[in-house]
Amino acid sequence: MKVLVLNCGSSSIKFQLFDMQKTIVLAKGVAEKVGLKGSFVLLEKKNGQKVQFDGEIIDHQTGIEYILGILTSAKHGCIKNLDEIEATGHRVAHGGENFKTSAFIDDYVLAEIEKLGELAPLHNPANLKGIVAMKALIQGIRQVAVFDTAFHQTMPEHAYMYAIPYSLYNKYKIRRYGFHGTSHGYVSKRACEILNVDITKQKIITCHLGNGASMTAIDGGKSVDTSMGFTPIEGLIMGTRSGDLDIGVVSYIMDKEEIGLSSVNTVFNKQSGMLGVSGVSSDMREITDAALNKNNTRAQLSLDMYFYRIKKYIGAYASAMGGLDILIFAGGIGENSSVTRFEACKNLEFMGIEMDKKKNDLVHSKDAIISSNNSKVKVMVVPTNEELVIARDTLQIISNM
Amino acid sequence: MSEIIFEPIEKYGLSQKNRPKQLFSKVGIVGCGTVGQAIALMISQKELETVFIELGEDKISYALCKIELELDNMIEHWGMTASEKRAILSRINGYVGYENLKGCDLVIEAIRSKSRERRITSRKEVFKNIEKYVSPDCIIATNSTTIVITELSSELEYKERCVSLHFLTSAPAAKMIEVVRGLYTSDVSYEKVCKFVRMLGKTVIPVQESPGLISVRILVALLNEACEVLMEGVGTMEDIDETMRVGIGMTLGPFETADKIGLDKVMRWMENLYSEFGDKKYIASPIIKKLVRANQLGRINGKGFYRYDERGKKLANI
Repeated sequence: MKVLVLNCGSSSIKFQLFDMQKTIVLAKGVAEKVGLKGSFVLLEKKNGQKVQFDGEIIDHQTGIEYILGILTSAKHGCIKNLDEIEATGHRVAHGGENFKTSAFIDDYVLAEIEKLGELAPLHNPANLKGIVAMKALIQGIRQVAVFDTAFHQTMPEHAYMYAIPYSLYNKYKIRRYGFHGTSHGYVSKRACEILNVDITKQKIITCHLGNGASMTAIDGGKSVDTSMGFTPIEGLIMGTRSGDLDIGVVSYIMDKEEIGLSSVNTVFNKQSGMLGVSGVSSDMREITDAALNKNNTRAQLSLDMYFYRIKKYIGAYASAMGGLDILIFAGGIGENSSVTRFEACKNLEFMGIEMDKKKNDLVHSKDAIISSNNSKVKVMVVPTNEELVIARDTLQIISNM
Repeated sequence: MSEIIFEPIEKYGLSQKNRPKQLFSKVGIVGCGTVGQAIALMISQKELETVFIELGEDKISYALCKIELELDNMIEHWGMTASEKRAILSRINGYVGYENLKGCDLVIEAIRSKSRERRITSRKEVFKNIEKYVSPDCIIATNSTTIVITELSSELEYKERCVSLHFLTSAPAAKMIEVVRGLYTSDVSYEKVCKFVRMLGKTVIPVQESPGLISVRILVALLNEACEVLMEGVGTMEDIDETMRVGIGMTLGPFETADKIGLDKVMRWMENLYSEFGDKKYIASPIIKKLVRANQLGRINGKGFYRYDERGKKLANI
């Protein structure tokens, strides 16, 4: 039973081929610069060998065709023919209000994903291209869409509505949707498996800290609030995104700097966040290095702000749920930066969070409990695996048909 | 870590059918004055490789320098990041000689000819020179508005690939481009160009072949009328501009617009339109003529209807 997982961006196609019986990755890779000069497919084989295939990839369909060609090739492939691929699972950015779970892709779902392009103009159209291309390349292939927003559809109305005129919600569906849903859902379940506890009785906060970052309050296994909102800019401070911001600042900057909408977008999405404050980089490792080894005070300030924002959300979500049992760190920074984990949890003993500094310092990218044995709240590191979730959801949906 | 193996991708397709080639991967620009620079920027920002040719090395370094300044200006005004700037600059290359246009999928002529007599003949030469080096399916376009494409393409071997493509370089953010098909333009070429325009994130405004198209013809008449109103003493320059900006909702008033475009250019437009239509409403207003004679051309050299600092910012009139 083999499932191909695709994550199509505007000019890239990430892929992983899973053997679901053995739960192993047979091959993975990415097609980069699709439709641009210098396009290529980079393949990582099961044995770790990397192969780069250079050549013109004019569009997503051509890219996927090459990927399928490579996977079935005698020289670099891992399957004999395309029939071995049982189904394809697609990561789809926005599922709007209609998709509360992953969905089998039929004509209706396809049309809905297209319609939701209005809410995610950078992502959904690219996701759609991948789906359409697979449909054209493998006759009758079964496809499943796994939405980044679906996990958060359990949020109560009072958490997802914005305090703006209700008519705007009616007109444009402006509300909090949240993202990284697949990751938040996966790590919360995985943590409960490791701890051997019933997820329906747990109050969990998950911190997905990567290039983009978000936190989610999960009560009884259901997302009840999340830090990203209508778009992925709200909430935590990120590499180049500001996160929460007084909207008065936006109009003030537009007026003073005499800039329009597109520049405003660049300011808050690409020039803000850790990069904007530190002036060093958007990369946590470089910022930490500048702060610790080069006495860069602005780098230190950006770190202080980053930790503080996470801490603030921990407090907010713990009170939103009326308690906290498990706190989880995931994503590139969450899994690797022991400093971030330590600082975000510092001085939270009053609410039952007690870190074990030694354990914390030793953990990189593996499942682990990093709180002290006496800590009321279990603090954990759980590496995320969104592709696996997509593959599992895909398998489950086609098995039930 | 094992080393990466490199291989060509072509043989890994599922079928061996001829794959379509990328529609546009390299765009050429002939002439890199202010107009050419603005076009080069617009195109390279959309991740296309851009090649411009100029008459001399000094002009090339000047143009590249101006492009870099413009990018710095955009960064300063939050329109771009430093890494985006590096990527854009790496996609723009300048050369001397038409042979460097080889391999282009589209070449845009953006030269500036000072004398009226030369304006058509020199462009025709440019077109012929371009054709020597590009493949027959390469689109050749002019950015000129007052010279018709049919005339420019008339002596080419493959006339059907020529179109007129009017970038509003004084307003690079404007999300439209006027696209004109000449008498010879084929449907295939026209469609290809429309795709290119959409790739740039802009809307195609289809325009029938006519000197001045929509934008230039109306702008010129508006500016002449604004000059009349000024000369009659109906209102001051500032008040006329403010009325059109605030009251009518233009981004810039007529005098500000003219300064931004360059008064010499505006005057050439007027002369060309007058010689095409013979209507005196196109004759450049004496004020414009006076300013051009005094070499007060607008933002580009710091003085036109208004005064500007080195960065093109309007100064308060004393």
